[in-house]
Amino acid sequence: MTTTSPAGAPPAPRPAGPPPGRTARLIAALGPHATVLRGAGGLLTLIGALLPWATFVLNKGPYPDKATLQYFVAPFGVTGFRWQLLLFGIAALVLALAPVPARGRLLRGLAWGIIGIAVVNGLFITVEGGGLGAITVTDGSVACGAVVTLLAGVLVELGARAGGIEPRPVWTWRFGPWVERAVLVVVYVLMLFVVAATLTSGGTGGAANRYSGAVFLSFLAALGGAFAALHASGLMTWVATVAERHRVFSVLVLLAMALALPLTAAGNEYWMTVAANIGVYAATAIGLNIVVGLAGLLDLGYVAFLGIGAFVAANLSGAAAAKFDVHLPFALVMVISAVIAGMFGAVVGSPTLRVRGDYLAIVTLAFGEIFVRTAQNNIFGLTGGSNAIPGIPQVELFGTRFSDRIAVAGIQLPAGVLYYLLIVFLVAIVMLVFSHLKESRLGRAWIAIREDEDAARAMGIRTGPIKIMAFLCGATLAGFAGAFFAHKTGTVSYESFRFTESVTLIAAVILGGMGTVPGAVLGASLLFVLPEKLREFADYRLLLFGLALILIMRFRPQGLVPDRHRRAELARDPADEPPPGGSTAGSRAEVAA
Amino acid sequence: MSAPSAAPEAGRTGGGPILAAAGVTMQFGGLRALGDVSFDLMEGQIIGLIGPNGAGKTTLFNCLTGLYAPTSGSVSLRGERLPQDPALVTEKGIARTFQNIRLFPSMTAEENVLVGRHVRMKQSPLSSLLHGPKFKRSEAAARVRSGELLNFVGLGRFSDELARNLPYGDQRRLEIARALATDPSVLLLDEPTAGMNAQETEATRQLIFAIRDLGISVVVIEHDTKFIFTLCDRVLVLVQGELLVEGGPDEVRGDPRVVEAYLGAPPEEVEARLYSSAAVDESPGGAHRKEDGP
Repeated sequence: MTTTSPAGAPPAPRPAGPPPGRTARLIAALGPHATVLRGAGGLLTLIGALLPWATFVLNKGPYPDKATLQYFVAPFGVTGFRWQLLLFGIAALVLALAPVPARGRLLRGLAWGIIGIAVVNGLFITVEGGGLGAITVTDGSVACGAVVTLLAGVLVELGARAGGIEPRPVWTWRFGPWVERAVLVVVYVLMLFVVAATLTSGGTGGAANRYSGAVFLSFLAALGGAFAALHASGLMTWVATVAERHRVFSVLVLLAMALALPLTAAGNEYWMTVAANIGVYAATAIGLNIVVGLAGLLDLGYVAFLGIGAFVAANLSGAAAAKFDVHLPFALVMVISAVIAGMFGAVVGSPTLRVRGDYLAIVTLAFGEIFVRTAQNNIFGLTGGSNAIPGIPQVELFGTRFSDRIAVAGIQLPAGVLYYLLIVFLVAIVMLVFSHLKESRLGRAWIAIREDEDAARAMGIRTGPIKIMAFLCGATLAGFAGAFFAHKTGTVSYESFRFTESVTLIAAVILGGMGTVPGAVLGASLLFVLPEKLREFADYRLLLFGLALILIMRFRPQGLVPDRHRRAELARDPADEPPPGGSTAGSRAEVAA
Repeated sequence: MSAPSAAPEAGRTGGGPILAAAGVTMQFGGLRALGDVSFDLMEGQIIGLIGPNGAGKTTLFNCLTGLYAPTSGSVSLRGERLPQDPALVTEKGIARTFQNIRLFPSMTAEENVLVGRHVRMKQSPLSSLLHGPKFKRSEAAARVRSGELLNFVGLGRFSDELARNLPYGDQRRLEIARALATDPSVLLLDEPTAGMNAQETEATRQLIFAIRDLGISVVVIEHDTKFIFTLCDRVLVLVQGELLVEGGPDEVRGDPRVVEAYLGAPPEEVEARLYSSAAVDESPGGAHRKEDGP
C-alpha cells in the first residue's frame, strides 16, 4: 500500500509538493501517450458497442415475449445502450484529435458514462445469466462486449488524466436578448425530451418487464456521463448565467415545458400518474425545505402534515361530508386542509422553543409515530384505520372529471392529464411561495437561525415565533399537497404516511440541495422515480437510499443543485472549490487559539 | 469612510447615563463570575473594559445584552430597565459583536447586514408572501441602508461575497456593520481587534471613533491595553469578577494594582515595567501590540 495523499487533502490534481503515489506516477508515465490512450479508448468503445454482450438468452421471466433479449444479445443491433455507446465512442475519438477547450475534463465525463453503461449492463447480465460466464465465454459463444467497453472506459479515463484535466472554461458570450431567449427555449425543449426519455426509458417496471431497471440505470449512466461532459465544457454554466439574466422568461418557459410533458413520449396514463405523485412529493419536499433547508430544524415526522392534509380533505370531500349533504368546492377543501395542517405544524413546532438539534429531531420523530398510530386506530372515526378512507370523489371542473381523458384541439390526451396539469400549477405556486418567503425578512431570519441561533437572537430575532412560523409554513404547504393527494388517489390510508416517507422526503431535500427549490424538486423526482423504475430492487430500497446519501455527503455535500450563493461562488472561481464549511471552522479555530 | 446618511437617533437622556449597570452580580452555582459591578456609560462615550482572562468581561457583556439574567443587580438603558431577552434588548437599542466571530457564514455580507435590519423592518408574513409594493419599498430601503453601512466600515465592494470567504479582519468589520444595522444607541464590542495586525488595529480605532461620532456610545473589551488607553474616555478594570479600578486612561495606566493584576509581578518590577509600557505606548504606530494573547 502506498500512501497516495495526506489525510484530508483532495485526491485530484495535486501540487508538486508531496511525493507522488503509485497512481500519480502511472499517470505521469502515461503523459506522452495521452492522445493514443484517448483514441484507443474511443475506438474500443465503438467495438464494444457492436460486440455481443450476453452468451445466452435472458428471457426466463413469465412474459418471454416481452423480454428485450435482442437488446443484449444481437450484435450490430444498434438500439438502447448501443447507440449511446456509439455516440460516446465517436465523441471520444473526436475529442482525442480535435483541439477542444478543456477536453481532458470532457473526456473524463464521457469515460465515466462509458464505464457506467458497461458496469450496469455487465452486472445485470452477470446476475441474470448466473455468473461471469454470461459476459465472457461459454460453450463456444463469445460475448465480451461488457468487458471490452469497461476497458475502453478505463482507457479513456486514463488518457484524460494523462493529458491533464484542465480547469472548466468560462464562457462570457453575450448576444441580443431575443437570441439568448431563443437559446434558452431550445435548451429547455431539449430538457423536456430528456426528461420524457428518462421517464419512459426501460418502460414500465414490474413483472411484465424484468429488464426495465437495468435499461433505466444504463440510460441514467449515459445521461450522467453526457451531463458531466456538458458541465465540463462550461456550456451549462453559461446557460445558467443566461437563464439568470432572463429569469422571469426562463421560469415561464420552464412552466410551459412542464405543461407540455403530456405531449411527449411520457404522455400516457401511467406516466401521468407517476408524474402527479412526484408533484405531490415535490411540493411536500419544498415545504420541508423551509423547515430543514432554511431554518435548519430537522423534522423527522414531516410526512404527518401531508397525512393531516389528506385526511382533512378526505373527510371534507368524502362520505363523511356527504352524510351531512355538504359538498365543498375542491379549492376550498384544499385551503381548509392546508390551514388545519398548518395549525398542527405550529403545535408541533412549539417544542422547538425548548429543544434544539438532535432533541428536536426526536420530538418530531415521536410526533410522526403518534400520527401513524392514531391514524391506524381510526381516531374519532376520522382516519378509517386499516380500512382507509375510500371513495373520495374526483375533482370536477365545469362537469369534467379530472380522471377523464380529454381531447384538446383534436389531440387525444391521456387520462389523468388534468391532475398532472393541476399539480404542475400547484408546485409552481409552492415554488413561488418558497422563493418569496426566502427573499424576505422572515426568510433571512430563518437562515440566520440555521447559521447561528445565538447570534440571530443577538441581532434581535425572536427565535421562538420565527421557528414556529417555519413549521407553520412548511406544514401548510404539505397540507395543500395532501388535499390534492387525497382527491387524486381517491383513497387515503395511514400506510402512505409512515416514517419511511419522512426519511425519503428528508433524503430528497438533502440530495437535491438544502434551501433550494430546484434541488427539492429534483431530489423528490429522483427518489420517487427510482423506486418506480427499480421494482426488482424494492427489497434493497432503503439500502440503496442510504448508499446514495453517503455518496452524496462524501462527494457533493451541498447537494445536486447548490444554493445560489454557492453557484455564484463556483462560477467566479471554477478551478478552486473551497471545502464547504472548512474556512469557517478554520477562522473560528484561529480565534480560539 | 462616509457616514451613513441616516445616523442613528441620539438619545434623549438629558445628561443622565445612557447605559447604567447597578450592582450586577452573576453567580454560576458556587462560582461568582461577577460581584457587584456598577458603572455608567454616558452619551457619546467610549468605555474600555480590560482585565485578565476569566475576569468576567464577557459575562458582563452577556448580562448587559440579556443573554444572562444577573443573579442580582440591574441594567438600564436611558433609565429603563432592560428585558431578559437578547432579541428585546437589541430592539431597545443595544447591539453587540462576539469575541469569536459569529457571522452567518453562508450568507453574503449584505445579507448579514440585512439580518441586522430585522428589528427595524416591518413586513407582515402576508406581504412577505405576496411581495407587494409596500414590501418592495421596505426591502429597498433596507438594502440602501445596508449598502451605506457596508461602505461605512469599508466593505462596500464585498457586499455579494459570502461572509465565510472574507478575510479575518473584514469579518470583524462586517460584524460591526451588522450590529450597527440594528440602529443601536449603545454598541458593545467584544475584542474587536483580536488577531489583527497593527494596521488593522489602527483602522478599527478610527472606525470606533467614527461610530462614536455618529452619536453611538461604545463599550469595548480588549486585551490590547495600548489600544484601550488611546481609544477610551474611561477604562474599567475587572479582576476576578470585581471592578478593581475605574477612571481615565492615564489614571488606570498609572495604577499599580492594575499592573499587578495583569502581571502579578513584585512591586519593584511593576515600577520598571510600567515605565517601559508607557514609553512604548507613546511611540506612534509602534510594533508593540499586546500584553496578552487573544
